[in-house]
Amino acid sequence: MKTFRFWLTLLMCAVLWTTVTSCFNSAPNYINTNKTRNIHLIVKMNRGDYWNTVKLGAEAAAQEFNVKLTFKAPDSESDITEQVKMVQDSIKEKADVIILAASSYMGLAQVVDQAAYSKIPVISVDAEVGSARVRTYIGSNGYEAGQKSAERLIKLLKGYGEVGIINFTNSTQSEKLESSNGIEYGARDAEEREKGFLNYTARYPNIQVVEISYTTSSIKDAEDLTQLMLLKHPNLRGIASLNETASQGAAMAIQSRGLQNIKMVAFDSSPSMMELLQDGTVQATVIQNPFSNGYLAVKHAVEVIEGIDVPERVDTGTKLIDLDNMLWPENQKLLFPFVR
Amino acid sequence: MRQEKPYSFRLRPQHPTGGKRRLSSKLRSIQVTITLTFTSVAVLVAVVVSLMLYNKFAKTAEENANMNMQQIIEQVNYNLELYVKGMRNIFETAEDQITNSPSVDSALLMERMAMLMGSREDLVSAAVFTPQGKYVVGTAGQKLRSNTQLETQSWFTTAKRTSEISYSAPHIQNLFKGQYIWVVSISKLIQYQENGVLKTGILLMDFNFRTIDELSKQVKLGKRGYAYILDQLGNIVYHPQQQLIYAGLKYENVEPVLEYAYRSYLDESTGEKRFITVRTLEQTGWKIVGVAYYDEIVTTKRDLNNFLSWFLAVVILCVIIVSVFLSARIARPIRKLERTLQQVGEGDLNTRIDVSGAYEVEQLSKRFNLMLQRIRQLMDQIIYEQETKRKGELEVLQSQINPHFLYNTLNSVIRLAERGKTEEVVTMIQSLSKFFRISLSKGNNMITVQEELDHIRHYLVIQSFRFKNKFRYEIIAQDEVVQCQTIKLILQPIVENALYHGIEMMPDEGFISIQAELKDNLVIIRISDNGLGMSKETMKVILTGGSKSMSGSGVGVRNVNERIELYYGREYGLSFESEIEEGTTVTLIFPALAKGEGNEGLKEDETSS
Repeated sequence: MKTFRFWLTLLMCAVLWTTVTSCFNSAPNYINTNKTRNIHLIVKMNRGDYWNTVKLGAEAAAQEFNVKLTFKAPDSESDITEQVKMVQDSIKEKADVIILAASSYMGLAQVVDQAAYSKIPVISVDAEVGSARVRTYIGSNGYEAGQKSAERLIKLLKGYGEVGIINFTNSTQSEKLESSNGIEYGARDAEEREKGFLNYTARYPNIQVVEISYTTSSIKDAEDLTQLMLLKHPNLRGIASLNETASQGAAMAIQSRGLQNIKMVAFDSSPSMMELLQDGTVQATVIQNPFSNGYLAVKHAVEVIEGIDVPERVDTGTKLIDLDNMLWPENQKLLFPFVR
Repeated sequence: MRQEKPYSFRLRPQHPTGGKRRLSSKLRSIQVTITLTFTSVAVLVAVVVSLMLYNKFAKTAEENANMNMQQIIEQVNYNLELYVKGMRNIFETAEDQITNSPSVDSALLMERMAMLMGSREDLVSAAVFTPQGKYVVGTAGQKLRSNTQLETQSWFTTAKRTSEISYSAPHIQNLFKGQYIWVVSISKLIQYQENGVLKTGILLMDFNFRTIDELSKQVKLGKRGYAYILDQLGNIVYHPQQQLIYAGLKYENVEPVLEYAYRSYLDESTGEKRFITVRTLEQTGWKIVGVAYYDEIVTTKRDLNNFLSWFLAVVILCVIIVSVFLSARIARPIRKLERTLQQVGEGDLNTRIDVSGAYEVEQLSKRFNLMLQRIRQLMDQIIYEQETKRKGELEVLQSQINPHFLYNTLNSVIRLAERGKTEEVVTMIQSLSKFFRISLSKGNNMITVQEELDHIRHYLVIQSFRFKNKFRYEIIAQDEVVQCQTIKLILQPIVENALYHGIEMMPDEGFISIQAELKDNLVIIRISDNGLGMSKETMKVILTGGSKSMSGSGVGVRNVNERIELYYGREYGLSFESEIEEGTTVTLIFPALAKGEGNEGLKEDETSS
């Protein structure tokens, strides 16, 4: 009886103590921003509005979550070796998390495994990489984007005619070589978009995809390829370009030749593309959410460090923008970054 | 508690056994009690006081923080008001110049407009449109884009609807070539002259966010707090994380903000406590919303928290130390006393208790010493008494079969027999046999007064033969007294004394009278003789020993006295009255006990010794 009372007293004391202390130290439950994390963001290319916007988003998150963001990118989207080297450097520098937009699906798989082996989480953004060790993918659904593009182009062409595609990947040569071996060396997003586009057009017998050109990531190259395509196929009625540089190059080719009858559906929302859209050179563009991609990638990276569960895949969505809806308030917000 | 016998002294009291009881007895010790009581009272007081202090301070801190925040927002509101007024002034100046200019495309107007544009960094463009959406005039160097859809834009439609100055929500300026930038448009329906004709048109001025941004950036509401601006419709005009909100990555709960023009409240919609302060700009209807994180603006509260928890911890620690020390000081002498007493309890009665400390404890130890001394005395006395009693009993036992007496008596019997006095022989032998029977009385120590008187009668019968009728005797007993209990063989030594010392040497015939009576519940037996008597000196020594008749049956008078005293108490016993040549009267007084009472006491006595 006495012992029981003793333990009861002890218990009461403990309860009192916890109540008192818990009133005093209630911990806030937002992400802790006291310590600085090292996050490396490696994207495909250090030029282009698209990647700039991704970087902008990443920087916004970095500022919010006290992240020291290291931004790296090769000069060209096709420079796989350089990108692999950058990932290796980041592993050596012991980054807390590596965020990667892989230029090649298989080309970076090995180095990502290597990072995972060194216990560095890898998050892919925009383009997936062929590794099961990637924690999460943040980006748009390429296949869906390709279908959207095809749908709008076919509508613009009223359902018939020859269509050319300007796609992007490391190099046409190696692409063909490797694909014959059954190994995908292209960028995943490019392939997905192309597949989506082709699968959609396959439903329309009157639409013939006469050529698919693969540009390296320079506007000039894309312009030349488009010129070449226009020369080769005088009956070409529509062009679909599947990334920002390809779109800019193709649009420039059309603009310079003053061709009003060629319909074009572009990709991404660089300011120059908006201008071309407003001019009427380009009839529509499929846009992604680069800002969100960058922001969410860094945010999830921080969550991975904090040990919080992150979704396996985050689809930031795509949207088809044309002259009619580009000034809708919600689209304005997506198209034009709020830069001060 | 078990009833203990009053005079039994247990040498080894049983110790409480078992861990449970030992622990609980430890817990009930004075030291623990004092420590716990003192600690809990002090801690309770400290906790209550600090909680009250905390609440008071926290409330004040919260109020201050809230007030501070409201002041900051008020300041921003004021600055923004000034800024909007400035925009309005410029707009009105421009309107004035255009309206008053004879021709809208005059060089003078163009120059003035250019000056106006140059005066403000945040002024992006100015232009006049016809109500149909046709471009009339604008700042120099601007090229209109195609497909502007300006007729559907809000600044255009609102200007057409009202004649007031209207402020648009933030939007992309897509009219002129160059960059697409986010602007706020001010527009109004104005009059202008073109080629001498008065026309109506819409004046548009676009302001970028530079100044608004700068004004709002100054707002520091803690580390994470910020301010944002809403227009009347709830569109965000400015937000430090505007792009995140535009991208749908962030969400601002604007509904409660829109309901009031002037308000401060606590918002928990994001899961975190946030102070929201709303102020409204008069001209534009914009709302300035200050957001401060509760846990940040109340840093004082957290500091207070830390301080108080440390304070409490230190206070509690101090209290515990002090109370342990204090209680130890109080409890130590008591514990020492207790330990000494334990020694005493274990039987060492010679332990000297010498404890210093509190006055009460000292007194306690002093009193205890006195008590111990008394116990020691009592113990000695008991030991002495027990020894004496045993000795007396032994003597009684011996007297039961006194060979000398037996020998004398049997000699007398032989002489009688030789003379052929058969009758006397029979009487004598009968008396002797009864005398011994009562002497033995089945080993009992207690007999009735009747039996004792019978016993003495038989003795006197035998002695009267021996003394050849040298004395007479009488035995008178009240009826009430005969059933009382008495220890046996208390009369015989006295009568023997009377015979041998009083009557034997007397020339005349002796007389022995034995009277037993019950008075005030006391048995009083008087034995008187008319013998030689005793001197005062003899009377003195007779009870203290010294002179002991060796000729008697062996059981002395002193033995009788001691036995009575031991059995019944010191106030009872023998008393003597004697006069030389006159005789002696011996009085025995002892309490009257009915049969059974006395026996019990006797039995106990036997078991305890």
